Amino acid sequence: MTAITLDRLGKDFGNSTALHEVSLEFPAGSFVVLLGPSGCGKTTTLRMLAGLEEPTRGTISFGDRVVANGDTGESVPAEKRGLGMVFQSYALWPHMTVRTNIDWPLRVARWSAADRKARVDEVLGMLAITALADRYPAEISGGQQQRVAIARTIASRPQVLLFDEPLSNLDARLRVDTRAELAQVHRATGGTSVYVTHDQVEALALATHIAVMRDGRVEQFGSPAELLERPATAFVAAFLGTPPAVLLSGTVSGGELRRDGVTIATAPGDGHELKAMFRPQDVGLGADGVLPFDVVECTPLAGRYVVSGLTGGDRVSVITESPIVAGTATRLILPASPAALFDAEDARVSA
Amino acid sequence: MRRVTMGLRRPTTWLAAAVLAVLVVLVALPLQGLVAATLEPDSVGSWTDVLASPLSANLFWEPLGNSLVVGLATGLIASLLGGFLAWVVVMSDVPGRRIIGVLATIPFALPSFAIALAWESVFRNERLGGNPGLLASLGVNVPDLLSWGVVPVTLTLVAHYYSLSFVVIAAALSNVSGDLLAAAEITGASRVRIAARIALPVVAPAILSGFLLAFAEGVSNFAVPALLGLPVRFQTLSTRLYGAISTGDTERGYVLSILLVVIAALVLWVGNRFTAGRSFATITGKSSRPRRVKTGPWKWVLFVMSAALVTATTIVPGIVLAVSTVLRRTNSFDAGFTLHYWIGESDAAIAQGMRGVLRDPIAIEALGATVALGLAVALGATLVGLLGAYVVNRLKRNRLVGGSISLLSYVPFLIPGIAFGAAFIAQFGAPIGPFPSLYGTFAILVIAGIAASLPFAFQTSRSALGQVSGDLEEAALISGAGTATRLRRIVFPLASRGIVSGGILVFVTMVRDLSLVVLLVTPATPLLSVMTYRYASEGFTQSANAITLVIAIVSVAATLLARRLQGARQPWSNA
Repeated sequence: MTAITLDRLGKDFGNSTALHEVSLEFPAGSFVVLLGPSGCGKTTTLRMLAGLEEPTRGTISFGDRVVANGDTGESVPAEKRGLGMVFQSYALWPHMTVRTNIDWPLRVARWSAADRKARVDEVLGMLAITALADRYPAEISGGQQQRVAIARTIASRPQVLLFDEPLSNLDARLRVDTRAELAQVHRATGGTSVYVTHDQVEALALATHIAVMRDGRVEQFGSPAELLERPATAFVAAFLGTPPAVLLSGTVSGGELRRDGVTIATAPGDGHELKAMFRPQDVGLGADGVLPFDVVECTPLAGRYVVSGLTGGDRVSVITESPIVAGTATRLILPASPAALFDAEDARVSA
Repeated sequence: MRRVTMGLRRPTTWLAAAVLAVLVVLVALPLQGLVAATLEPDSVGSWTDVLASPLSANLFWEPLGNSLVVGLATGLIASLLGGFLAWVVVMSDVPGRRIIGVLATIPFALPSFAIALAWESVFRNERLGGNPGLLASLGVNVPDLLSWGVVPVTLTLVAHYYSLSFVVIAAALSNVSGDLLAAAEITGASRVRIAARIALPVVAPAILSGFLLAFAEGVSNFAVPALLGLPVRFQTLSTRLYGAISTGDTERGYVLSILLVVIAALVLWVGNRFTAGRSFATITGKSSRPRRVKTGPWKWVLFVMSAALVTATTIVPGIVLAVSTVLRRTNSFDAGFTLHYWIGESDAAIAQGMRGVLRDPIAIEALGATVALGLAVALGATLVGLLGAYVVNRLKRNRLVGGSISLLSYVPFLIPGIAFGAAFIAQFGAPIGPFPSLYGTFAILVIAGIAASLPFAFQTSRSALGQVSGDLEEAALISGAGTATRLRRIVFPLASRGIVSGGILVFVTMVRDLSLVVLLVTPATPLLSVMTYRYASEGFTQSANAITLVIAIVSVAATLLARRLQGARQPWSNA
């Protein structure tokens, strides 16, 4: 079991900074998801963990061992870090069969022929691809290629597993199936997994810990429940959840947060802007609501309905028990107090 | 019944019929004529003359052996050098790799006889009398091995064709996902092992196809063995068949042409069988750019090696040719410099009274004719290729017509230029029905040029049209645009850059071509490349080199223009 520590880790590409000073601790055996929009630095972080990029600042430690030190330039090469990586492009070697793809890394690691055969058969069975063993990567489907890539990665029993958006090239159905398998693979290997994605549903389903990243910084690091319950920033609140939290901005005056002349929360101070966060399930729709709401779409979800619409130019989603026709003009019913308030810099200002 | 009428009404069907008819006349008829001419009762004996008679060792087997040796050596060395340069440019951190990459593509834009003439100007020895090269006139004793025959022929062909291997392998290398190598690195495999087990196998198809192209070209090239081999009776199949036809031994020449076609076609066909469907480019998903190999102190060694290679095959021959044209005495600095061979008036004391090439009305006429031929062929081949590609694209369901058009457009690729020239003489050299003989006319040059350029024009048009998604045309169809309007307003404008740059490259291959036209040209239709060849064989080195420089300048300028139109982004230039 290997814990991973990032200490003031940073990376520059030329003049642009891909990653500012990031400090995180991933407990041994955890499944950490680096989540964020494209360009947030999540893949750069992963590639530095893998040893495919060198950090510019700070250190990475696997357990007690410093594997990369950007301040001194020292770095343990990728192959000496005891890790496996699943690439977004799968990176299957096209001129080798499925079996050879899985076998070759073991051969490089000087496993005996008998051990190799046993282990290859074992992972082939584990991912249900035994029947494909003698095919070439070009002859199997995308979902099958993905399984081969996973099988190849776990075959040598790495202590750290890295995943670079491994599901993004699969169709929706396969994505859900493969996701479940990944969770099992993680449990079966018992290693520490780090997984990069921009899909918050994937993150919430897989992670024991999520680091939400934005513009090369970590917005918040914690368990999925923590992030949903107590988002540290408005960005996190808007990024996570199906549907995400309802965020309404307004101006404080006389101890009240007002939006379009309507009071939506109480807040100290005067004159500054705040965002109030409400949970979608706490917000209702009806003629006696306080803010106008024009329904744009209505999607059934688990026996209820996610209704998206516009209020004063902002798009928000709420949950209702019954469907509402798109185009309906109705009003938002807000609870007595918001779940959280965020200031103009997005930071949380109250309970 | 109804389907037939519907079919006839559709303009595409008419277009398909027209394209097919043109292809039959351009490609199928000449080949048929070539074969038929050797099967006449009084000519069928040529087959035994060539293949099994006291003459055949001299006529066929020996030249065949020479052709194969030259082809094999050219293919091997060109692949080695091209592969090395591709690795340097795409995968390494060697300084100046970008400019090395640009220079490495230039030799192929030069006429193959340019490098041969430059070689001759430096290495020619006194064995045959006449004017020796620079080294000999400086007192260096150049061995025959370096002056004539298999070594100089192979090396100059390599200098020309390594550039083809480079382009093919560099494109394949830059398509290899960086992840593929990163995944191998993580396993802990050594650099050598990754190179041998992952990188090389992945680009193997590209290396093989580069090798086969260079091999086929080496087997069938005419200009180089004619300049550096023929004077010492080093015969290849191409020079043999040229000799046979130009001395009136036509049927034997035709038989040799057929044999050369069969050999070249066999090589390329086998190669295609090996490489077809085995592209190992990135299979799925977004790939990361390859991480460059850090070569450390070797960096400068590699730089010197690759810079020397590209300079020796581009800048050095250019300088040699340029300098040799301003030497008063051929390939010797003793008598000083002169511009006579460029702009001099006729002077009986120099070169038998030949004028400078820029003052020579025949050279000027040849320049005009060469450019006109290039333009006519570029236009004609692009038009036929474009219509053919469009029809094949549209008639996806009609395998027979689409397949025939594709096949006929591909066949000329298998036919060496000189054999194709022979086929055109066989077919169009005599009057057919109401049509007069075309031999000795400009028209036969244009027709043969179009036919020989078809494979390239068809392929570039096809890929240019492939860039225009079917959706775009369907969107125009739904908004009510007819076939002609769609072609004119949607398809051609979108595909035009690719098509025009393809046309320019056809122009270049035509302007620098010697092997196709050498049998078809008569004094009535002078062309620059043929003039060069004649001057070079008659010993007018300065004039030959001056005209070659003119051709090289036109070719390289047009190639650079085409590359600019293509957006100038070679796959490896941004990596």
